[in-house]
Amino acid sequence: MSEAPATSSIYDLGYRRYDGVRLGRRHAVAALYTHSLRTAFGLGRPATAKIVPIGLAVLTLLPALIALGVAAIASDVEIYSANGYYGYVEVILALFVAAMAPELVGRDQRQRTLTLYFSRSLLRVDYAVGKVAALTSAMLLLTLVPQALLFLGRAFAWNDFWGYTQDNWQDIPAIVGSGLLLSLTMSSLAIALACYTKRRAFATGGIIAYFVISTGVSAIVANTASGIVRKLSLLPSGFHLLRGFTLWMFDVTPTLDAQGNSNGPAGDLVVAGLDFYWYAVAAGVAIAGALYIIYRRYQTVAA
Amino acid sequence: MLANMPMLETRALTKRYPGVTALDALDLQLDPGVIGLVGANGAGKSTLIKVMLGLLEPTSGSGQLLGFDVVTQGAELRQYVGYMPEHDCLPNDMTATDFVGHMAQISGLPRAAARERTAETLRHVGLFEERYREIKGYSTGMKQRVKLAQALVHDPRLMLLDEPTNGLDPAGRDEMLDLVKRTGREFGIAILMSSHLLGEIERVCDHLVVIEGGRLVQSAPMASFTARTGSLVVEVEAGEEQLALKLEREGLQVKREGRLLMVGLEDERPYDVIRDAVADLGLGLVRMEQRRQTLEDLFREPAAEGLEPAHV
Repeated sequence: MSEAPATSSIYDLGYRRYDGVRLGRRHAVAALYTHSLRTAFGLGRPATAKIVPIGLAVLTLLPALIALGVAAIASDVEIYSANGYYGYVEVILALFVAAMAPELVGRDQRQRTLTLYFSRSLLRVDYAVGKVAALTSAMLLLTLVPQALLFLGRAFAWNDFWGYTQDNWQDIPAIVGSGLLLSLTMSSLAIALACYTKRRAFATGGIIAYFVISTGVSAIVANTASGIVRKLSLLPSGFHLLRGFTLWMFDVTPTLDAQGNSNGPAGDLVVAGLDFYWYAVAAGVAIAGALYIIYRRYQTVAA
Repeated sequence: MLANMPMLETRALTKRYPGVTALDALDLQLDPGVIGLVGANGAGKSTLIKVMLGLLEPTSGSGQLLGFDVVTQGAELRQYVGYMPEHDCLPNDMTATDFVGHMAQISGLPRAAARERTAETLRHVGLFEERYREIKGYSTGMKQRVKLAQALVHDPRLMLLDEPTNGLDPAGRDEMLDLVKRTGREFGIAILMSSHLLGEIERVCDHLVVIEGGRLVQSAPMASFTARTGSLVVEVEAGEEQLALKLEREGLQVKREGRLLMVGLEDERPYDVIRDAVADLGLGLVRMEQRRQTLEDLFREPAAEGLEPAHV
């Protein structure tokens, strides 16, 4: 950059003042949301940052694509039901929030970019809202896109597209509702854990540990304890919770095996014997609690 | 808007941490300009800046920046303020363009304007060629420029720069100071810049604020400091003690630095008095010259006195 002589300054645009609009807080939140949603898939970041989120997103699609592919070749194969699909991808969804929640909230604390956000027109609570909304939206993409593919696939496989759609339209609110509740539950829980540490490894490990341990312990308790303990045993488990409210929304009761034993998480829910709507209530409580924890964190975190 | 209201005003502004009072009932009123904020490490410079930005809540007292109350009107105020923190704050795997553009939008600029301003601002800070590279490959000097760019991109009325030359080598230091100076003088953006180096402040600022232990020591235009710092260096072959006594009797301020006498220079009179005194005493005058004192000299002695109790 060469110094222009003073006489030529009329041609040198140099620094210009900005007289345009300043859109304030709401625009700032929207910009943070968009930016964070892109970050959740590694967009605007180097190629290496895309591998994990894009890879996991593809994996959530894979069971749906395989099912549709098989169904296209062998016509009498049944395609997964909408309410059972999360059983195939729940681990991938958990890995996604475990990987990306620290990316969204831990990085700004680690690199101290938080200071730059808080010294702008965002409020602290706006930051938290933008981040939770972004991860929830990313999760919605991961749940609703495969569900939409499956729905269309089943409709086409039925040979009567409109007939199938008319017969099964009532699945749509259940699909959207369960996807929304699942996305919000997993995202807010993951961010509540991740926003308390700068260390990505701790956050990711903590989130995975929560899902693995709570699932295992809850399943054991449900199948061994009795009475009220058994009834409530699955509420702390993230995976059981989302299965429970999904079954409630689709109004489906899974069957036990021939010996009357649980065969996996859906069976555990029957064994525990708690009405399925309680799992939706519990998810609501978990979301509220997680959001409060996040709120508290961002009111007090040093910037 | 700026011309007739103070840029910054604090009333009994206090920030207490457990065991430490970072700001102690600070009363300060500053008009727009390029203002230097000086103090030792821990004097409360960063705390003052952070309280004014709403990053820290004051324990008591109030503060206004550009006429906005820093506690109740923070979000609105911060649209017009740019902040360059002392510490690292850049995401290392984004490009300067992406990052500064994002920050412009967070400051409220529409997308297209943000993009345009980003390109302009990065060019202004001298980062045009490298703007599509990831920040992690940048030198310290380049990172400081990105930090300055993000504080400038939304065309603030006021920039708060916390130790902008931190970690820079002498050449980088010069460039950063020139950049700050140009931004303040040529573009009319008010600047409050903190530093623990008086020399830097002297080069850039036209008003100086000195704080110590969270209290205001001094707030005055730079010119009034430099006017008061004039002194005359007198060296004689021998008998400097006699000369010092005689000059003091004549009512001059004399300080001894080794064999040199430093004589306060408020007007032209000391020249004649010294000449006469040297002649009367029959001493050999080696030199007599005006010394361009730096602000460092002004504060060196109080600082040294402050240290003394520790030795005793």
